[in-house]
Amino acid sequence: MKISILAHSAGRGRRTSAAVALGAVLALTATACGDDGSGAGGDGAEGSGKGKIVFWDNNGGVRTDIWKQIIADFEKANPDIDVQYVGIASTEYQSKVDTAIQADGLPDVGGISASMLAGFAAQGALDPLDDRLEGSSLNGKLNKDLVESLRAAGGGDDKLYSVPTSANNGVLYYRTDLFEKAGLEEPTTWERFFEAAEKLTDKGGNKFGYTIRGGSGSIAQALDAMYGQSGITSFWDATGKKTTVNDPKNVEALEKYAALFKKVTPAADLNNDFTKMVAQWDSGEIGMLNHNLGSYQDHVKALGADKFRGIPQPVGPDGKRVQVSNPVDGVGLFKSSKNKEAAWKFIEFATSAESSSKFNESAGQVPAHLDAAKADWIAKAEPTKLAADALTDGSTTIVQLPYYLPDWNTLSKAESEPNFQKVLLGDMSAKDFLDGLAEKLNEAQAEWDEQMG
Amino acid sequence: MITKEATAAAPAPPRTAPEPPRPAKRRRAWDEAPRWQIYLPLGIYLVFTLIPFYWILLFALRPAGSTSLVPWPMTTVHFEKVWTDRGFGTFFYNSVLVGVVTLLMTTLVALAGGYALARFDFKVKRGFMLALLCSQFVPGALLLVPLFEIFAGLQMINSLISVIIAETVFQLPLSMILISNFIKNVPYSLEEAAWVDGCNRFRAFRVVVLPLLRPGLIAVGSFAFVHSWNHFLFALMFLNNQEKQTIPVGLNTLMSADSVDLGALAAGGIIAAVPVVIVFAFIQKWLITGFSAGAVKG
Repeated sequence: MKISILAHSAGRGRRTSAAVALGAVLALTATACGDDGSGAGGDGAEGSGKGKIVFWDNNGGVRTDIWKQIIADFEKANPDIDVQYVGIASTEYQSKVDTAIQADGLPDVGGISASMLAGFAAQGALDPLDDRLEGSSLNGKLNKDLVESLRAAGGGDDKLYSVPTSANNGVLYYRTDLFEKAGLEEPTTWERFFEAAEKLTDKGGNKFGYTIRGGSGSIAQALDAMYGQSGITSFWDATGKKTTVNDPKNVEALEKYAALFKKVTPAADLNNDFTKMVAQWDSGEIGMLNHNLGSYQDHVKALGADKFRGIPQPVGPDGKRVQVSNPVDGVGLFKSSKNKEAAWKFIEFATSAESSSKFNESAGQVPAHLDAAKADWIAKAEPTKLAADALTDGSTTIVQLPYYLPDWNTLSKAESEPNFQKVLLGDMSAKDFLDGLAEKLNEAQAEWDEQMG
Repeated sequence: MITKEATAAAPAPPRTAPEPPRPAKRRRAWDEAPRWQIYLPLGIYLVFTLIPFYWILLFALRPAGSTSLVPWPMTTVHFEKVWTDRGFGTFFYNSVLVGVVTLLMTTLVALAGGYALARFDFKVKRGFMLALLCSQFVPGALLLVPLFEIFAGLQMINSLISVIIAETVFQLPLSMILISNFIKNVPYSLEEAAWVDGCNRFRAFRVVVLPLLRPGLIAVGSFAFVHSWNHFLFALMFLNNQEKQTIPVGLNTLMSADSVDLGALAAGGIIAAVPVVIVFAFIQKWLITGFSAGAVKG
């Protein structure tokens, strides 16, 4: 039997279907209320200095409230400009911006930290800000080291693509109550740190001296511990072509650090990212934790301010403190913005003394604006004050990590973290791990030198 | 182009003589096993499965800083915080909207496409089926840039419609295959009988076939809803307005680069999980039937 698809009522049915389909399309279009991604496109334009700009926060969520407050202040001072805030989780920010670069959907302004600056600059997504900064009231008011750190991370053309808002710093948090009980001294030296880690451990009682970061983000922490102990003050040797990560002193330091795993730390630390690490320190009985200023408020909420302290990294045997750099955070102007004048006004406002102070008080970080760094609240937030002092009083040497290398994120994360876990498990020696990392870094640096001519 | 109908796809079952009485069922080993041998492994499995959920509940209901293993004293402060301060009320509404509209669109289009695949033969049918299957191997992330450009061209970025369309399109291949297999199980003679009684094709489908597809529709619909409810990528990429974001994107923002509010994260997780749990609780009976009946046969 063969029945024609054009049945007797097909004509009427088809008309009905077409009407329904057309109606649906019109309804969807009418209710779409969307746009083409942003007010950006092509090489952008200065614009009128009025109207709407879009701001993408690179660490949305916990910072949403303070950014909204700064935006409200800005809109009050600039009633002709409307800022649309979009908070994006830090873990997804790079992929969102990368997609937007490819699809021509960038916002006007975005949070740009040193760790992702090279990638965005290499794709030509950012507008250089040197000239704007020179003619701005911010000129000379920002911490020079932070400005230079962002300039160095920018892609080798000696241009500034992001105006610094804050500096973060590595902190050694320790439980004052547990230290007092055990009669231990403050872990201000690496020797005391290792001694305390051992003495505070009671595996049977589920008490540990330290929690190590074995999962995501482990490499920066391991590098901090290595350079801190070895006292080596530069990431590259005198030629600038060979990294110092596999220097015998660093190898020895990593061996000592990795040996802490399972001896004085929970076995589950192998997969510790910062979330798990901070959570178990806040809810258990672990003596020490290495993290940065960002988690200070979490510890206060969980433990209370009187049960712990956050101090700068321990000093080495010669009394000198060496730390690796933490990515400086900042705000950048996307090249495709069609309203650059208004966007720059917002950047100026957001990095001004008043906004910088508000923002960093909320984030618990060191303000990039010199006047904001003198605010009263800093004296009350001990870890921030100690970090600010350490960064400015000359007591600390910062080893600048090569954020400018476009491959740095891949090399220090996906390619190295699994091998670091092998080191912790004893399946790979610290020397083999560091030799492998050094080889890749040297290649990346050579490639970089070649590109820069 | 449609050339003929696949009338042979589902022949009416031949009439057979009544089945002889079945032999007495042999008692199997596990019928005689002591109860504890059944319930103990099940209990261990259940505890193992439920501990992570209990942990989430614990963090969501106990005050920040508490290390108690029971959520007492109980607090709803984390729920209040995420629902009002962090905008989960809005995210929830957006997710429901995306989920329900995706469910409806996926089911409707899959029904139409599935019917065509089940009842008609056309020249490129095999190739089309192959393309449907192959489309399942393409990760959504690969299509982000072209999709973004298409939606940007249609002025649909920042609109829930873009997410709904993308979700629907990605759900359709599997849904169509499932529905077509389900329709093949409905004897074609039933539709023919309806035509003889004066129904046109659409009415015969609506009155005779559609009621028999209920388990399949529930399976496909719930699958579409749950997938779009949980899906993160399209909402993250296509929505640039806080007021239009969905639950998975909101959940992600509860973890910052250096800090995490575990109480809020757990409360957000519960808000995200509850609708899915409720959906499954109501539809599980039909879901199993639907998936097994609509499964691709070798």
